[in-house]
Amino acid sequence: MSTTTAIQATSHWDTHLLKKYDMPGPRYTSYPTANVFDKNFDAGDYRALAAKTHANISPLSLYVHIPFCENICYYCACNKVVTRKRHLVRPFLDHLEQELELRGALHKKRRVTQLHFGGGTPTYLDPAELTELMHHIGTHFNLDNTEAREFSIEIDPRTISKSTVALLKGLNFNRISIGIQDFDPLVQRAVNRLQSYEMVKGLTHAIRRHNYRSLSFDLIYGLPMQSVASYADTMDKVIELQPDRIACYNYAHLPERFSSQRAIDRLQLPNGGEKLAMFQYIGERLLAAGYDYIGMDHFVRPDDELAIARKDGRLQRNFQGYSTCLAPDLIGLGPSAISQFNGSYSQNHKDLETYYQALDENDLPIANGCTMSQEDHLRRKVIMNLACQLRVDIPAIEQEFGIVFTSHFKKSLINLEPLSEDGLVIVGPDEILVTQAGRMLIRNICMAFDAHLTEQSQQRFSRTI
Amino acid sequence: MTLGQTDQRCPHNYQVSCGNCRLNSICLPIALETVEIEQLDDIIQRGKPLRKGEHIFRENEVFGSVYAVRSGSLKAYRITGDGKEQVTGFYFPGEILGMDGIGRNRHASSAKALETAAICEIPFERLGDLSTAIPTLQRHFFQLMSQEIAYDQELITLLSKNSAEERIAALLVSLSARFSLRKLSPTHFRLPMSRTDIGNYLGLTVETVSRVFSRFQKTGLLSVDNKELAILDPERLRTTAGIRVTTESR
Repeated sequence: MSTTTAIQATSHWDTHLLKKYDMPGPRYTSYPTANVFDKNFDAGDYRALAAKTHANISPLSLYVHIPFCENICYYCACNKVVTRKRHLVRPFLDHLEQELELRGALHKKRRVTQLHFGGGTPTYLDPAELTELMHHIGTHFNLDNTEAREFSIEIDPRTISKSTVALLKGLNFNRISIGIQDFDPLVQRAVNRLQSYEMVKGLTHAIRRHNYRSLSFDLIYGLPMQSVASYADTMDKVIELQPDRIACYNYAHLPERFSSQRAIDRLQLPNGGEKLAMFQYIGERLLAAGYDYIGMDHFVRPDDELAIARKDGRLQRNFQGYSTCLAPDLIGLGPSAISQFNGSYSQNHKDLETYYQALDENDLPIANGCTMSQEDHLRRKVIMNLACQLRVDIPAIEQEFGIVFTSHFKKSLINLEPLSEDGLVIVGPDEILVTQAGRMLIRNICMAFDAHLTEQSQQRFSRTI
Repeated sequence: MTLGQTDQRCPHNYQVSCGNCRLNSICLPIALETVEIEQLDDIIQRGKPLRKGEHIFRENEVFGSVYAVRSGSLKAYRITGDGKEQVTGFYFPGEILGMDGIGRNRHASSAKALETAAICEIPFERLGDLSTAIPTLQRHFFQLMSQEIAYDQELITLLSKNSAEERIAALLVSLSARFSLRKLSPTHFRLPMSRTDIGNYLGLTVETVSRVFSRFQKTGLLSVDNKELAILDPERLRTTAGIRVTTESR
């Protein structure tokens, strides 16, 4: 398929162009992006919006953030608490149950078709705690029980037994994602995450035995000690284990923001050119092994729901990356979790103490958020069309929002000119098309339409390559 | 007759309290303080023993309680789409039944006594209230529930992937482990269920069950005398069950 050309096309790039587009930028899991959320958005705003959505019968997606980890992985930029103090789980579960009760009362009637446990490390919770948590979710929300549900959980191979794989199936999870990152022990040591291939292979075998619908691997490129040559062995192993989905993330080295990243030796990091070469190599290997390229960082088997959804124009992008449009509204639970519904985004308090405090006062633990303006809706539509469909239908947008595209987006179209000259995007009278080469730089293309992006705010983001 | 005069060792005695029940180290009261055991004891209802063939609850009945087995044994079963009985589990003293009703508020299976059995009924709502006051009780309850769920899934996998020998060996290994937990012999025990129930549970014909038992006897794995069974080579039985695949833990 076309992606081979996309990935090959980029290999002909000169370093000048490469440097030009290697800049900090959002991943567009939301628009507006989380950094522009407003502290004045509070629980009252959320309640008012929830009260207005009662007529909405579309199903819900739930995200549950479990912040605990046993060990620190140096590269990690997620909101987490690294601890071996198991007694910290009890107050966490008690508060999470309270949040479930508060949110459940607001959203209860709607069916939950998508559920995702992320972290931190969801499997930091032991079998009894996982069972309890699912019991509470089922008490306060209407969990779907059909085959079409997508209930997924991130697991850490180092903290899970094979009987937990059986338990998770019994708790109605049908998708598992495993954080692999890299199989090379040298890289694993450099990032403090040691997990053998045999461990992952055994786990993969158990997951297949229990008939999970989908197994996903997360990989990271751009880690210390990595190179194309070192990654060849990791790719052999990944392809041998045949996951259904593969997300390969670009490591963002931002030690001034994430203190654990200071443990990573900057001199051991591959440079931008090497990182691009690694992404190209990963793409070539996966395409040769029969995977489809979904966009940004996602590869899936051709029969996977995401591949089908992309062909049908039903692909969406939210905080969990790409997903099908099964449930457009997302309710996030737990510290730092983001909710997205009825034209709003809102984020929970990040640190446990503040999160607990709000719930102790019987209040939703919301730290900030935003109510989208009409302009935000318009720009989100354009950006998500680019990221998911690789195409913007100009007359359709004009009709839906009652604008004249060329005059409304005058500044954006000027921003787009250099990208167009470099062959990343084709701007026609009726459509904007992302080219094969542009697919890998989709974040840069979306940035042209981001009205909230300022040079100052841009510095907070990871680099696009 | 006062409580002090009753024979507290009699397994069918329905006046036995959690505090002096010999099963309290494997049943719900595990890890509870004396005062807490008394609180738990207060909500538990004990009726007359069930006779063989009597039901505790039936599929689709409204769920209100979970049940602990104090003596005897039971089987749980469902009625399949074509009206046939499908055995879904066997339960022994100290084990809890009925937890599959929690999710949908209706019992997902029926439970029938395989022999005379004494049961403790634990009203679920009151257990929930009590759990709020006694976190260790709640924790233990969810632990039991998670074991039950994982066990069910392992069984489903066993039935879908494994040979008749592997299935029967896995059942015997499981029974042996459960008897051992009750300080009973892990190698010499009586099978309370019929060959038909075993076959039904494991998705095998009764002929296959008998054939595998004969083969196991011939190869020196077991000796079988009707319902009395002796495991002669526990290590080989575990290997046959492929136990490392299904129940390996960290």
